[in-house]
Amino acid sequence: MARVVVDPLTRIEGHLRVEVEIGADSKVSDAWVSGTLYRGMETVLKGRRPQDAFYVSQRICGVCPISHGHASTMSAEDTYDLTIPNGARLVRNIIECAQYLHSHVLWFYTLAALDYVDPLKALSADIAATYDLALAVAGKYAPAGFDVRVTDFGAVQKRVGEFINAGLNNNRLSIFTNGWLGHPAYPSEMPAELHLIAVAHYLEALQVQAEASQIIGIMGGKFPHFMTSVNGGTTFVPTEEKLDDVLYRLMKVVDFVNNVMIPDTLAIAPYYAKDYPNEGIVSSAAYGAGCKNYLAWGVFNDPSFELTKRYLPGGVIKGLDLAAGVIPGLEDPDPSKVMEYVSRSWYDSADGLNPSDGETSAKYVDYDVNGKYSWGKAVRYDDLPMEVGPLSRMLVAYLRDTEMQWPDGVRTPKQLIDLTLGALGSELGLTGPVPLAALQSLLGRVAARNLETAFVADLSVASVLELVGYVKEGDVKWFEPHSVSDGKGVGMWEAPRGSVAHWMTVEGGKLSNYQVVAPTTWDIAPRDKEGADAVRGPIEESLIGAPVMDPERPMEVVRIVRSFDP
Amino acid sequence: MAHGNHDALYSQLAARGVTRRDFLKFCGSIATLMGLAETAIPQIAAAVEAAALTPRAPALWINGGACTGCTESMAQGMTPDVATVVLDLLSLNYFETVMMAQGGPEMIPGYQEGVVEAKPELTAEGAIKTMLEEGGYILIFEGTVMTGFGGNALRIAGKSQTEELPEICKNAAAIVAVGSCAVDGGWVAARPNPAEGKGIQQFCKDEGIATPVINLPTCPVNPEWVVAMVIDVLLLGQLESGAILDKLDDFGRPSLIFGQTIHDNCPRRGHFENGEFVYEFGSAEEAKGYCLYAVGCKGPQTFTNCPIVRWNDGASWCVESGAPCIGCGNANPLSPGGNWVDVGAPFLNRMPDLPIAGTTFQPSTIGAAVGAVAAGALLVHGIGMKVAGRMDGGAPYEDVRAHDRKKGGGK
Repeated sequence: MARVVVDPLTRIEGHLRVEVEIGADSKVSDAWVSGTLYRGMETVLKGRRPQDAFYVSQRICGVCPISHGHASTMSAEDTYDLTIPNGARLVRNIIECAQYLHSHVLWFYTLAALDYVDPLKALSADIAATYDLALAVAGKYAPAGFDVRVTDFGAVQKRVGEFINAGLNNNRLSIFTNGWLGHPAYPSEMPAELHLIAVAHYLEALQVQAEASQIIGIMGGKFPHFMTSVNGGTTFVPTEEKLDDVLYRLMKVVDFVNNVMIPDTLAIAPYYAKDYPNEGIVSSAAYGAGCKNYLAWGVFNDPSFELTKRYLPGGVIKGLDLAAGVIPGLEDPDPSKVMEYVSRSWYDSADGLNPSDGETSAKYVDYDVNGKYSWGKAVRYDDLPMEVGPLSRMLVAYLRDTEMQWPDGVRTPKQLIDLTLGALGSELGLTGPVPLAALQSLLGRVAARNLETAFVADLSVASVLELVGYVKEGDVKWFEPHSVSDGKGVGMWEAPRGSVAHWMTVEGGKLSNYQVVAPTTWDIAPRDKEGADAVRGPIEESLIGAPVMDPERPMEVVRIVRSFDP
Repeated sequence: MAHGNHDALYSQLAARGVTRRDFLKFCGSIATLMGLAETAIPQIAAAVEAAALTPRAPALWINGGACTGCTESMAQGMTPDVATVVLDLLSLNYFETVMMAQGGPEMIPGYQEGVVEAKPELTAEGAIKTMLEEGGYILIFEGTVMTGFGGNALRIAGKSQTEELPEICKNAAAIVAVGSCAVDGGWVAARPNPAEGKGIQQFCKDEGIATPVINLPTCPVNPEWVVAMVIDVLLLGQLESGAILDKLDDFGRPSLIFGQTIHDNCPRRGHFENGEFVYEFGSAEEAKGYCLYAVGCKGPQTFTNCPIVRWNDGASWCVESGAPCIGCGNANPLSPGGNWVDVGAPFLNRMPDLPIAGTTFQPSTIGAAVGAVAAGALLVHGIGMKVAGRMDGGAPYEDVRAHDRKKGGGK
């Protein structure tokens, strides 16, 4: 038995501590996830005006401010019983799409890639063989083929090589200092050339994520932290010139997603879908599933504004076990079923409150995994921990496939998933596709995010074209004048990393209560009560049973946690 | 500088698609930001060339109580792009959001194979320790210093951040506070400041640390300013000479960036002068790009050069997207309560809510007279707008003046 602590777990937004117990079989036998920062947003907003919550509350998260801003503005609109005009719906959808594209590209390359790709190995790649491999991958998976995108792999290798050599002996390795370069969890069968391709795209992705943010810059004023989706609609009035600027950047991002990101995913995934017993490597498709309950409020409104008709629809799945053939019925999401527990968290507010009547009363006591150990509340739905994020959304969309009215020109989540499982099956030499059950794993969670990126790429183009059509019609409206009225409201939405909801109570034109359940609140949730029958949170549960090849550098643990994009 | 060095740099730049022209353009934009004449461009170019060819300057990027938005914002900088900053200019040995290493005081050092020689530590913590011993690094601090709950409002590596922070600040050559949270606590320190947040300069003062602090407010920070400061501090040797401190204003901000108001440089200023205002979002006036003063724009009292530098590689900025400035660059490093949220909210009103006897109210005529002292410069123009603070239409509008009504303004 060994205890391993990773604190801080890096390459995520914010600060997180993960503690695991490793059994004699070298597998994780217990886990505790601790959110280690408290700022008090909900308390800061009390007594302020509901109009101001949009600007302030989005600053909870600098990676998904758009989604928080939208959830806040929707909770105000729910309070006032207000429907925003169609023009504002489209503008908000496009801004949100751009944030998804930005966030998912940034996550896969900048944050997660180093868990699967070793820059050291890239240095031994043969350049001619790298071009051959890139050509072969593009030939199979890139719709535009390889000719549209020539990367100077030799220059990248030289740059990274010079960087490492110059920094090695004088403590100047920058962000690679003390990294787990050369970790044995990178399978030796994965060719150096593929490592080099991925490193080249790691650098290219830095430009692409910025292009995606520029779309928000144009329509939202700036990113991070945007300005235009005020209560009642949007302040942004599209012009031909602005829409042209948006479309120009969007096409570059969409090109990268379809011709680089998805092919990279399909090229790298096979090496992580296999067991390598000689190297002690277990397939990433064999562990990391977690609580198997999935929640999505839904995101990207269609003209009806109904949660279950959103282009990524809302839904709740309890106890899905595809490997065992257990597919429970899909439920429509209901915010009144959300409860927050604090007996293992650093709060002394009442236990089991719905956020519409929630409290935030912070009280720190010593960190103790047998007592209180996190600034995160234990949020539950129908008393169950819920995984939120791309995997939940893609599963809900998969199950709702036939009832949906998909926009013209998009590949549906089901089509994207089925296509990928088929491709992965043939890469692995199977007679058919990889079974759907593989989605419920570490690998599945990563794949779901990247496939969602492809869906959002399609949706964003469809949405811009819809907006162009709307502007052409001439009778445009961007903002619904309204008064502030007292009452309670909730805004439910999805950040790239998962379900987000803001609850507000307005009394005398001021906020008398404000509660946020962020995506990370769901996923990093600690246990919900004291004692042996306390239920673990989603990330905690997903770590149970994970193999740990090297307890000094628990790569599998950090991969699983990071796969949630917490 | 020898010609051979130029060639080495340009071949490096060319390898990543940066032309000589791009490079000089970048140096030009830095010169503009630093308020230097065009004649300074060769000097900047030489300094950057020298830096690109010598060992990278050491730096630590530490996140306090942060939303990571300033890190995100840095990633949106394109001149130079973030890869250049990370690979060529600075050695960011600790940078929680992007670093390869993981934290873990309870993990035991292991081994490394291949090209890299074994290091004594394999953790993020180790990266800081090595740098603390070396000293002389640039500390870039993002987020609020969290002092609440005995510092346990932010725990890192099994202890409160404030436990180790004094040493990290003390051993730095300079501290660059990026974003309003780092400058004065930002929204985290807004009333009632539940986690007792403060800015890094205040923290240093409280701890008796004399390391110079350069404050770069706005929420998030604009990456162009950070790059300009890093080049100013590191490459042009202005820290050693003390010249950099002469360029800072009373709030520790570079005067050249924060010396003029948004209103001074606003492209919509002409409409202000003409009395042409937006009274409702999404209106015909909005489509014409009229002035946002009437819907609460804080441009007149916010000191940043946003209209010139803009955001997201110059894609746009708040006012251009039809949104009134909320004054996120208002920061007061050594005065609690001077944060942009308490100063600027309610953002869509001209006047702040006045907190009196446990409640707040929106100033009417009398309040306007008081507020007019602060907005004195505006009254010089004879605008003399009556503040009504009405709530209809989603934003509190000024009463429409006859002059505007004639021009089709208002509702």
